[in-house]
Amino acid sequence: MRGRLFKIVMGVVITVSLLTAHFIQKTINRERGEMGLTRLEVLENAPPILAFTTVALGGFRGLIVNILWTRMTDLGDQDRYFETIQLADWITKLEPTFAPVWQWQAWNLAYNISIKFSDPLQRWHWVYSGIKMLRDEGLTYNPHRPELYRELAWFFQNKIGYYLDDCHVFYKSYWAGEMESLLGKQIDWEKLLNPTTEEDKEKVRRLKEEFKMDPAFMKKVDDTYGPFEWRLPDAHSIYWAMMGLEKCTGNKKYDLMALRRQIYQPMLLNFHRGRLVENQFSQGFEYRPNLDAIPNTDRAYLEFADADPEYRDHILKAHKNFLKDAIYFLYTYNRISESAKYFREFAKRYPGQSLLTGDPTATPEKIALDEFVVERVEEDVRDNSPDRVRGIVEGLLFQSFHTLSLGEEEEASGYAAIALKVWQKYDAEMQKGDEAIRDRVGLPPFQSMRTEALSQFLSLADERVPLMADALRQRLNLPPRKVETPSATTTPGPVNSQSSTNSVNP
Amino acid sequence: MKQILAIAKLTLKAAFRFKIVALLSLFLVVSVTALPLLIKDDGTARGFIQILLTYSMGLTVTTLGLATLWLSCGILARDIEDCRIQLMVVKPVARWKIWMGKWLGILILNAMLLGGVGMVIYGLLEYRGGRLNEDQKFVLENEVFVARGSAKEAAIDLTETVEEIFQDRMRQSSLQDVDHAQLKKQIFEMLKHQFQLVPQGMMREWDIPLGVNPAKLRDKPLYLRTKFIAMSHNSTFDDTRTFPMFWEVGPMDSPQSWRVVMPMTPNVFHEIEVPPNLLDENGHLQVRFINNQNETFYFDVNEGMEVLYREGGFLANYLKGLLILFCWLALLAAIGLSASSFLSFPVASFFAVSVLILGLSTGTMSQVIEEGGITGVDHETGKVEERGVIDHISVFFFKELKKLTEVVLDFSPVELLSEGRTVTWWMVCKAIVQIVILVGGVFVALGVYCFSKRELALPSGGQG
Repeated sequence: MRGRLFKIVMGVVITVSLLTAHFIQKTINRERGEMGLTRLEVLENAPPILAFTTVALGGFRGLIVNILWTRMTDLGDQDRYFETIQLADWITKLEPTFAPVWQWQAWNLAYNISIKFSDPLQRWHWVYSGIKMLRDEGLTYNPHRPELYRELAWFFQNKIGYYLDDCHVFYKSYWAGEMESLLGKQIDWEKLLNPTTEEDKEKVRRLKEEFKMDPAFMKKVDDTYGPFEWRLPDAHSIYWAMMGLEKCTGNKKYDLMALRRQIYQPMLLNFHRGRLVENQFSQGFEYRPNLDAIPNTDRAYLEFADADPEYRDHILKAHKNFLKDAIYFLYTYNRISESAKYFREFAKRYPGQSLLTGDPTATPEKIALDEFVVERVEEDVRDNSPDRVRGIVEGLLFQSFHTLSLGEEEEASGYAAIALKVWQKYDAEMQKGDEAIRDRVGLPPFQSMRTEALSQFLSLADERVPLMADALRQRLNLPPRKVETPSATTTPGPVNSQSSTNSVNP
Repeated sequence: MKQILAIAKLTLKAAFRFKIVALLSLFLVVSVTALPLLIKDDGTARGFIQILLTYSMGLTVTTLGLATLWLSCGILARDIEDCRIQLMVVKPVARWKIWMGKWLGILILNAMLLGGVGMVIYGLLEYRGGRLNEDQKFVLENEVFVARGSAKEAAIDLTETVEEIFQDRMRQSSLQDVDHAQLKKQIFEMLKHQFQLVPQGMMREWDIPLGVNPAKLRDKPLYLRTKFIAMSHNSTFDDTRTFPMFWEVGPMDSPQSWRVVMPMTPNVFHEIEVPPNLLDENGHLQVRFINNQNETFYFDVNEGMEVLYREGGFLANYLKGLLILFCWLALLAAIGLSASSFLSFPVASFFAVSVLILGLSTGTMSQVIEEGGITGVDHETGKVEERGVIDHISVFFFKELKKLTEVVLDFSPVELLSEGRTVTWWMVCKAIVQIVILVGGVFVALGVYCFSKRELALPSGGQG
């Protein structure tokens, strides 16, 4: 009797279990499909061993992944990282089409583990491992997943390009060095697209095989949204975002807004700091505004706004802010007519809207271009962004040298005085923070910035308006230009980089 | 004993006859040799050797472990199923001797395979290490290919201070109704916390007795293993910061003291190489951290500072590590044999693998205990908020099971070897007692009992 009852109970349990499995199977299968855990289609670009492994392991893949993931977490808790790259490799290979796994693992390497090391080179190894994981493998198996392109672009923009990491300067210099070894200081598109010498062919091969970049597509990116400084990470951020758009457009399953944002945000950065200049005094790189990128940046904003009705207002808001910057930067670099052009564009596109934060009356109809610029100086210094403040100081110094060469000494002194005031105000803000923050986002001494700006101004003037350069040299009692080497930069005396004696004299 | 040895010999012969030894040896040697070509390391020579050591030993113990389970389940169960066992039990040999003989046979087989593959791994490590440049060799010889002892500061005794503060508080205010033990505990925690903090402009000194004759460490470098937390971390940037930490090692106010400023990141262990001959005459090492940063640092009393020093060579350490691994294999053999003593081969295999999986699920056990149950976990709190009977039972069950598995798994020879730390004889003895004698003994007793009581000549072949 007891045995019979037992069999009946077991029978009921089995029936209930089977029925439950029947009802939830469809949901589970759908969710597995959505997450990329079940592959009905053939795994793209995978080597035979990977394709075989993922199929042969069947349902055990999930179990193995769990074990590996647990091990990775345990080792991380113990600060043991030497296995992490291998474990991440296995985990991603076992779930090659599950994009969030690639994202998480790459993020873990580049963001979480890298900061555990104090040596910048070791840190870079981890950051670059994250980039390689996405670029060399994640995208190979998931060429149509926009979130992976977006993540890769973000790594370039944020981890290398931004100031959040203590070692960001090292990352930028390292990356710039890598790119310079392939592309040179100034990119030669002809050589890149049609290499003839063995050396150029080798460089293109490395670019394609090691960095997974297509020269023709680089040219397309540069023509569409550039010009870019390809030694800077922002250009690469835009490259991968644009590649993502190209590969994923037409895939209605995913939202491509994140990719578009990943283009126009770095474009703004490219405009703010997209020109790389070697500082002959500090033997390092410095970043300058890339004013030539303004027309394409302007166009990109408008294109993306039209392409995305849902986010149109959001993009146009960003465009409005970009225009304010463009007007201001062009003005401070003495490109008054271009500045006026964008001022008019602002008035036309955003009539009745304020140019200044906190002052709703400062509309293009009510204030003039000159007035806007003066008010803007105050606003910008409050902003505390080193790129913008540096750009303003340099623009004002350029303006100062320009007017001085024309003999307008009072005006020149005025610009120089504003520049110094801006520098002092920013420096005073920085002095309130600790030393690490000053090192990270502080500006060079004013005198050093002035000398560098003078050097650049003379270099530019020697090339374009030699007489103006001569006049300025004469007014500043500098040695005359060397006629036999007209392109050579006339450098002023050595700079005391730590000098605190800042002069108002232009 | 002769009878046991004779049966062990027969077991070994069977293993050789079925080509298990040849196949396993070939598989292990090929796998271990090919491993360096497959693994991805962290880019450092030290990391490469560590991962090579970890994975080759891990692969060996996993392969041998599974093979042991399979063999031990099969060797007895198959004998029973094929009635071969009847030829043995009709002889004047006690059943427990048959059981022990088979166990011993599997142990000898494991010892041979583990020893052989262990030698291959050792040779491979030596070969790989030998190809590195001198700087990398120095790092390996002092940080991986070595047996390093560990010393920490003596535990702080705050009993008197706690008592003083407690009495003072009692005098100052009316705390008669307060739980005295709880108050003392709070005072102790407060003092401990203060003890671990190093505010700006302050110094923290560790006086660490190494417990060895200083002459033994003459001209040998020491290593400080330290970890700290920067207390004012409150932004993403702060997490990436590197602090120039000022260290002084050696007797106080001595010209021989070694000073260094090391760029260090918080929340992670760092190893600092310290020049030799800085111990005082009592074999103590004084380490001082001088906080000249605009920051307060926290050094945990347990893991904030540790000194690692050379205690011996790698080979002896490696052999001790292999001995602990061998203990695990002995336990697996006992589990497999005891399962096959009362179950058929497929069921015994399933049972043995289940026990193994259960033993390796300590992570899940800890999670259940931490979450307080197995039913609906609140994603906000990470706990089971409304605990039912099932949750209480599961937590109790997993707590006890975890205690049991920890008796077996409370050893990490591979981790110790990869970090260049000493596997002590105490650990080896403890492993033999806990894993083989205590837990293994239970399975041996169970297996011998079941095998002795089993009817082997049933028409069904005596299958359970």
